[in-house]
Amino acid sequence: MAPILKVDSLTVNYNGTPALEEVSFSVEAGERVAIVGPNGSGKSTLFKAMVGLLRPVAGSVESNGAKIGYVSQRSEVDWRFPVTVHDVVMMGRIAQIGWLRWQRPIDREVVRRCLDQVGMTAFAGRQIGELSGGQQQRVFIARALAQDASILLMDEPFGGVDVPSQEAILEILDGLRELGVTVLVSTHDLNLAVERFDRLALLNRRLIAYGPARGTITPASLAAAYGGQALWRGEDYALVMGDIDCCGETGGRHG
Amino acid sequence: MGNLLDLLVEPLRYPFMVRGLLASLMVGTLCAVVGTYVVLRGMAFFGDALAHAILPGVAVAYLLAVNLFWGALVMGLITAVGIGYLSRRSQVKEDTAIGVIFAASFALGVALLSTVRSYSVDLTHILFGNVLGVSNTDLLLTAGLGLVVLAAVFLLYKELLVVSFDPIMAATLRLPLDALNYLLLVLIALTVVVSLQAVGVALMVAMLVTPAATAYLLTRRLWQMMIIGAAIGAASAVAGLYLSFYVNVASGAAVVLVATGFFVLAFLFAPARGVVWSWRRGRV
Repeated sequence: MAPILKVDSLTVNYNGTPALEEVSFSVEAGERVAIVGPNGSGKSTLFKAMVGLLRPVAGSVESNGAKIGYVSQRSEVDWRFPVTVHDVVMMGRIAQIGWLRWQRPIDREVVRRCLDQVGMTAFAGRQIGELSGGQQQRVFIARALAQDASILLMDEPFGGVDVPSQEAILEILDGLRELGVTVLVSTHDLNLAVERFDRLALLNRRLIAYGPARGTITPASLAAAYGGQALWRGEDYALVMGDIDCCGETGGRHG
Repeated sequence: MGNLLDLLVEPLRYPFMVRGLLASLMVGTLCAVVGTYVVLRGMAFFGDALAHAILPGVAVAYLLAVNLFWGALVMGLITAVGIGYLSRRSQVKEDTAIGVIFAASFALGVALLSTVRSYSVDLTHILFGNVLGVSNTDLLLTAGLGLVVLAAVFLLYKELLVVSFDPIMAATLRLPLDALNYLLLVLIALTVVVSLQAVGVALMVAMLVTPAATAYLLTRRLWQMMIIGAAIGAASAVAGLYLSFYVNVASGAAVVLVATGFFVLAFLFAPARGVVWSWRRGRV
């Protein structure tokens, strides 16, 4: 099967210094990939380059015409803005609606379907700031789906959400897999990446390792990505030390 | 009842009052709709600066004895684009850049006007507005340009919404971010220019911000905020003008004070968000 997504020698500079160097990997349709690495390793940069927010100095991203939807980090919008959940998901339809036109019945239908897919139909009329962090994430997933995206890039969706919300998001991702949607998620949580994803990319400016979730993390790859800040714990688990991530709970359940 | 009706009809016997009311209605509506974006994007200082920075254009038009409107229009567009450019390109922070430009421009306007003998009267009219001096030509200009601005807000509703709420998403949709942001600055500038005669330079920011902020407290959707804001802006304008007619206070000031009254009421009593309700909840 041909890969749905092909990243080839992607190199991105950020303020003159290299943020990503020669990153290459490919993803099959419907796969779920975790992008893991310490802070500043280029996870967000990778996603931003893939959706055209940053211009790479070299390399390419091929998706064979499949649309790429981007779910940015939660903190990047004004939560007090007067928009409802429905309004936010409708923003995903802008390209389909076109300039100087108003939403059509089919757009409202798509919005309803996407809200249903993430289990947020009951919240359609709520102002976006009234939702919990996990619910907000789900709305932004619905918005990406409303763009007719079959590849989703999610930047730190599990940062700052509680465990039930994290499970809810993972369940939604399970549902998306059945629809053939390919999902790339950046996360600090190595254990989650190993346990709940098909493939794992270990990133630290360069792609240190890429492969099946179990087996990609080895003492050598871990040391290469995290330096002395992560400990090999045997089997599939790693314990990340120090404050290299924002959430702090990584590995805590096993440690 | 008859008395109340008389009170309402009495001022309409004066043509200048009718023109003033029409102008206030249009300006109140327009300022509130555009002001929605001023409030949501935190551009109050920009709006205030823009109104002041228009002064040299007005002064030059005055000295050349052409309609002040055209001077204001040229200067408003130059200032809007200039501030937009500087705040994106310059090494200083945006509010600093605005502060430097607006004070300098205002000073230039005052300097130009001070060469005229009737300086203080004219400056007062420009600073605080003279809605009762609105001519039929002014009314037509206000209506025409106002409709252009409202049409742009209406036709580009979804694009301006996403650019304001989530610029990153707008960029991934390949929307022309810079063009839309400049357009918004130009729309605000046109609104300020059109409203200049009715409201004046000094109180302009209140018309842009206060009705929209009041509506913000009462709704949770952008288009509702625009409609409610427009209603509050129009009501404030009309009520303020009647107030100035009967109590004999400056019309611009009366309009702003009425609008502020609406804001205070919403701030205290808005459903679910009013201070009074949260205070009572806190006590129980």
